[in-house]
Amino acid sequence: MQISTKEVISLIGLTSVIFLIAPLFLILYVLSYNRRKKQHRDDTILMQKNFETELLKTQMEVQEQTLKTVAYDLHDNIGQLLSLTTITLSSVDVTDTQNTAEKLALVEDLTLRSIKEVKALSRLLHGEEIVSRGLASAIDFELEWLRRSDKFEVVFNYDHDLTQLDNAKETILFRLFQEIINNIIQHARATAIHINLNQANGSCILEITDNGTGFNVDEALSRKSGMGLHNMVKRSAMINGTANIRSTPGKGSTITIQIPNL
Amino acid sequence: MAYLSINTFTECVCFLAAFVFLRKDKSLAWKMFIPFLLLTCATELGGIYMRHHLRVNNYPIYNIYLLFECGFTSLFFYYLYRPYHYPVKWLITWYAAFLALYLGELIHTNFSGFVSVTASVMSVVFVLASLYYYYLKLKDERFEPLLYSASFWWVSGALFFYFGSTACNNFLDYLAKYESITYNNSIRYIIFNVLDIIMYTFWSYAFICRYRQRK
Repeated sequence: MQISTKEVISLIGLTSVIFLIAPLFLILYVLSYNRRKKQHRDDTILMQKNFETELLKTQMEVQEQTLKTVAYDLHDNIGQLLSLTTITLSSVDVTDTQNTAEKLALVEDLTLRSIKEVKALSRLLHGEEIVSRGLASAIDFELEWLRRSDKFEVVFNYDHDLTQLDNAKETILFRLFQEIINNIIQHARATAIHINLNQANGSCILEITDNGTGFNVDEALSRKSGMGLHNMVKRSAMINGTANIRSTPGKGSTITIQIPNL
Repeated sequence: MAYLSINTFTECVCFLAAFVFLRKDKSLAWKMFIPFLLLTCATELGGIYMRHHLRVNNYPIYNIYLLFECGFTSLFFYYLYRPYHYPVKWLITWYAAFLALYLGELIHTNFSGFVSVTASVMSVVFVLASLYYYYLKLKDERFEPLLYSASFWWVSGALFFYFGSTACNNFLDYLAKYESITYNNSIRYIIFNVLDIIMYTFWSYAFICRYRQRK
C-alpha cells in the first residue's frame, strides 16, 4: 500500500502536535509537584512553629512549677522556722541567763536552718540551669523536695553514663516528669514512687511507677481533660517519642516515656 | 514585507525583551542573551535576504548559526546545572561530539546542504538537557517558586521548541523535497511558527522573571 505525500505530511503534523502536548503535561507535572513541595515546606514550618510554641509553654510550666514549690516552701518551711525564731526570741527573759543562752542557741540553729533553706530555694529558682545540668540531676533535685515531705518512699535509679539529649528534648521530658509526679501527688494517694531513667536501643527511657489507687487508662484517655494524659502523649510525640501508660484500678500505675537520642 | 514574518517578529520581540530586562543583569550568562538573540534576528533576516533578493540557498547562514546556537544553549544549560556541581567535562565532551558530527556532515554533503542530522542530534541532546534540569528540580529538596523562576521558563521554552521540532527535523529532507515550492503554507512553516511563538514567549517571560528577581 502506497502512502501519499499528503498523508505523510499530515502524520508529521500530528506527531508534532503530540510532541507539543507531551512537554505541556511534563511542565504541569513539575509545577504540581513543586506545589506539593511548597505545601510540605509550609507544613514543616508550621510544625516547627508549633514545636517552638509548645517548648516555650513547657519552659513556662517548669518555671511555674518551680514558683509553686517556692511558695509552698516559703509558707510551710521557712515561714515556720522564722515564726519559731520570733516566738523563741520574744520569750527570752534577759534576767534568766541560763535559759537565755539555751534560747539563743536555738535561735541560732533556727536561723542557720533558714539560711540553708533560702539557699536551696535560690538554687531551685534557677529552673533552666537545673535542666542544663542534665536530666538525671534535675530529676534528683526535684525529688529532693518530695523526699523532705516524708509522705512518699522515693527511689530513683539512673544510668550514670546516660547520653545527654538536646536541650529542648530534656526540657520537655523534665516537664513530663513534673506532670506525672504532680498527678501522683494530687490523685494517686500513693506511698511509694519508683523512678528509673536509663538508656536502651538508642533511646532514653523514663519510667515512673507508683503504688497508688490506679485508674482506667482508656476511660481517662477518652475524657477530654484526661488528667493531662493527652498532653503527655502529644508532647512525647512532638520529640519523636512515645508515652506508654499502664494502670489497673487499685494496683497503681506505670508510665514509660521513650525518647530517641537522635 | 518578506522581512516581516511571525518568526522574525517573535524573535525581534524576544530580543527587545532581553535588551530591556537583561541589559543591567549581573550574570554574564543571562546578559549573553542580548547578543545571541541579536544574532538570531540577524540570521533570520539574512536568510530572508539571501532567499528573496540574492535568490541563493540560505543553508550556509543557518549552518553557521547552528554553531552559535549549540555553543550558547549548551553553555547556558551548564550554567543552570552548575549549582548542582555538574562536571565541566560533560560540556567539553558534548562540544567535541557536536563538532565532529557537524564537520562530518558538512563534508558528507560537500558543504551544500543544511546539517539536519547534527541539528536533530542537537535537539535530542537539548531535550535530554531540559529533562535533566526538571529531574534536578524535582530532586532538590529546597522549594523554589517555579512560576516565577526565570531558568524554569527558559528551559520550558527550550523543551517545547526542541521536542516539538523533532518530528520536523527527522523528516526535514522529505519535507524540503515536497514542500519547497509552497514553503509559506507548508506544515514545516506552520509548526516552526507555532514553536517559535511558544519558545520566544516563554523566554520573554523568563527575562521578565529574571528582571523581577533582580529588583
